[in-house]
Amino acid sequence: MLKRCVMVALLALSQAAWAQFYVQDSLGRQTLDKRPERVIALSWELAEQVLELDVVPLAISDIPGYSEWVRQPAMPEQVIDLGTRAEPNLERIAELKPDVIFASLGQRHLIPALSQIAPVLYYSTYQAGHDNVQAAIDNYRRIAHVLGQSELAERKLSAMEQRIAALSAELTRAFPAGKPLAVSLRFANPTAAWVYGKNSIPEYVLERLGFEPALDSRASQWGISQQKVLQLARVEQGLVLYFEPFYYQAEMDRSRLWQAMPFVKQGRIAPVAPTWSYGGAMSILYNAEALAATLFALAPQVQPEPEVAP
Amino acid sequence: MNLRYSFNLPFLLLIALLSVLFGSELSPARQWQLLQGAEPQVFADFAFYYANLPRLAMALVVGAGLGLVGSLLQQLTQNPLLSPMTLGTSSGVWLALVVLNVWLPGLSGSYAVVAAMLGAGVSMALVLLIVGWRNLSGLPIVLAGMAVNILLGAIATAIILLHEQYANNLFIWGAGDLSQHDWDWFIWLLPRMLPALVIVAVAPRVLALLRLGQQGAQGRGLNLAPMFLLLMLCGLWIVASAITAVGAIGFIGLIAPNIARLLGARSPRSELLHSAIFGALLLLVTDMLARGLSLLTIDTVHTGTATALIGAPLLLLLTRRNLRSEDRLSIELPQGAARLTRLTKTLLPIICLGLLALSLGSGFNAGSWQLQWPSEFSFSLRWPRILAALSAGAALATAGTVLQRLIYNPLASPDILGLSAGATLMLVGSSVLFGVSIYEHGPLLAFVGSMLVLVLLLVLGRRHNYAPSMLILCGIALTALIEALVQFALARGTQSIYEILGWLAGSTYRVQPSDALFLFVLSLVLVTVALLCSKSLTLLSAGRQFAQARGLSVNARFVVLLVLVALLCAIVTAYLGPIAFIGLLAPHMAVLLGARQAGQQIAVAASCGACLLVLADYLGWVLFYPTQVAAGTLVSVIGGLYFITLLIRGQRSN
Repeated sequence: MLKRCVMVALLALSQAAWAQFYVQDSLGRQTLDKRPERVIALSWELAEQVLELDVVPLAISDIPGYSEWVRQPAMPEQVIDLGTRAEPNLERIAELKPDVIFASLGQRHLIPALSQIAPVLYYSTYQAGHDNVQAAIDNYRRIAHVLGQSELAERKLSAMEQRIAALSAELTRAFPAGKPLAVSLRFANPTAAWVYGKNSIPEYVLERLGFEPALDSRASQWGISQQKVLQLARVEQGLVLYFEPFYYQAEMDRSRLWQAMPFVKQGRIAPVAPTWSYGGAMSILYNAEALAATLFALAPQVQPEPEVAP
Repeated sequence: MNLRYSFNLPFLLLIALLSVLFGSELSPARQWQLLQGAEPQVFADFAFYYANLPRLAMALVVGAGLGLVGSLLQQLTQNPLLSPMTLGTSSGVWLALVVLNVWLPGLSGSYAVVAAMLGAGVSMALVLLIVGWRNLSGLPIVLAGMAVNILLGAIATAIILLHEQYANNLFIWGAGDLSQHDWDWFIWLLPRMLPALVIVAVAPRVLALLRLGQQGAQGRGLNLAPMFLLLMLCGLWIVASAITAVGAIGFIGLIAPNIARLLGARSPRSELLHSAIFGALLLLVTDMLARGLSLLTIDTVHTGTATALIGAPLLLLLTRRNLRSEDRLSIELPQGAARLTRLTKTLLPIICLGLLALSLGSGFNAGSWQLQWPSEFSFSLRWPRILAALSAGAALATAGTVLQRLIYNPLASPDILGLSAGATLMLVGSSVLFGVSIYEHGPLLAFVGSMLVLVLLLVLGRRHNYAPSMLILCGIALTALIEALVQFALARGTQSIYEILGWLAGSTYRVQPSDALFLFVLSLVLVTVALLCSKSLTLLSAGRQFAQARGLSVNARFVVLLVLVALLCAIVTAYLGPIAFIGLLAPHMAVLLGARQAGQQIAVAASCGACLLVLADYLGWVLFYPTQVAAGTLVSVIGGLYFITLLIRGQRSN
């Protein structure tokens, strides 16, 4: 009898051990009972990471906002809305009986409450004092491991690397005289702009495409700093790429200070299609595509006239 | 001492000259050439001619305009605390711009001006409607302005929080920015400043007559009302134009006239003109400071932020001399029941229990709401929220009742008077300056902040025999400082700001069970203490001299009760964030229900406050399900609307 009990216990134990598996998040090693299927993502960049692994999350925070700002990849219709990112609706989360909840810096303080509902995995992407881009990629891999999609993740990551390398090579051909410096930014109004600097995806992407930063910057949590448009005049030789939407275009075009900016005079400025700057790993690719499209459009304008052979 | 133009006008010119000389990298010779009409060639020339010069011109015009209007308003109402800022104008503009940017972003470029003017007009009309023409001289208009500020600000914050990303572009406007990129805005603004000429031409005579008193003026055959209206409209038009052009820049209109008076401007005309000069000077100096600070920080510091940094302490320094110790209000509360009826006594607990049951037992099932016993998990989420709302409501209502009786002012509310502002300032400041997460050391920091304000109030209060208006001044200064800091944080455009805004909305969302219990026990103790003090409160509210004659040591009791109020506010703000209006509303409800004695009023107000906050919390939870609206926001909206109807009704019955 005793023997049988021990046997049963051992069997149960081994089965538990079989089903359990270890995963990594930003807090270290975590244990899950089984591979999660019902997934909830509480921040936009995590929702994006999950979708990019071909897994449709059960629910995410602020779907209208996601569809307006993140846009890519599109959120499927069946995904359920949980309210704002800062205060997701805990009762609705509990009703949905998720297998796992992905949380980010903005929900860090909710982890104790969330853990009562389901295992919480915490992924910090945008943070001062670490490399945001590397974090986005690392988190993509970790989430892929959790969802059993590691193979897909590696395939997509290497495809992204190849695509960026290809874009860079094409751009080298588009700029035969050498790639100029470049800076990317978002205008707030005609006198102020948020400039993407160190630790931001747009600056990282520009460097990967072979365009060194045209402005110095200090690394910060979100990789942006707010600057006066007047200070952009420091961009003497480089390209200026600004993300759309920008609602003050007409007013800006009339401004004589703006017209006198060296990069405006020489046509070294162009808009970039709307792209989310605080996303996950694949948003690096989207930023690269959008920035490259603008760079290709700019290339003919900013090349020195080919010298006519004597 | 009489103030001479020969002193401050050259001084202004000198500062302007310095600001130009050091604001540009060009040599003075080249600058002179450009001024004389030389064609700009290199970019630095353009920057000088199309950025530096218009910026200087804007600073001068806007500063002078705000100073002039400030002086006009203060003289018209004989109220040294009145200014465009205290009238709630900029929050009206802010709300209008938020609405435009969230719902019609495509139009925000071309119609921002229209929206801003509309917002300014509506908010000012609201304030004037509340207080009415006869009550402009005392504190009511300041309090009404603050209330409108809180109401419109709360609505704007709620909209931003529900549509996080949309309002991003606005935040620079909110921070008040003098940067120019051409002469466009200056050319737009200058003709709109023309009513200033009307003010300078007409106002001195009217103001001189006003000093004789309205009756004296009428005796001389002058009906002041149309003149008054005309001048007021001119002033408000100028202010609305100025803040539309450069954004929220406070304090100039409040401080410049006070400086002018302090330095010896006596006649109405001299005060008007000197205020204009000091206004220009002040804005010029703070703008230089902002530019200097921007060199030190990674993000741009805007003029509005710098103005608040200088303005808040200056305000306290300058105006505290003119305070009277019992600044009574002429506004009467609406007549309520003469005493508590038995019906009220039985109904109140029933309503309380009903609300508790409703918020505990509502469940959202298959698309409809039902009353049911909550699941264990729901229960564990809900009871801390409800208990926290209950305790906080009771605590704030008690604080409000004590404060209103303490400073003889039925419009006083702890949040309007800056007692919870200290906590907010501390949290927002540490988040903005040191990157501390607002939720990390929240309660501790909030408590320290509240206590610092309390110490400030006690120190300043002692010097001024605990004058009530001291509290109001501190409230104005601190509130403006907070707004400036928040706007600075917003203008940085990072994603972390939503954490700050979320906290500022005043929410029960993050209250932990232990917090809720702690809050409950503390509130219970403090409310009991307040009830025990009700006798001295009754004596005090009958008048200081009366209380003194009855053998009460007035100042000692004042300090004890003020500390009590501060503690109540501190614990609530520490756990829930700033929650406005409960402290104002609940005591009024108690009076309406017939609770006239101090002890009764505290007890009934506490129950009403508890009910109100529980109700607001419940509504915030179900209204936009699954999205949650902070209880503090809903209370601000409900409370603000009540406050305004109350004041307007009081106005009518006069």
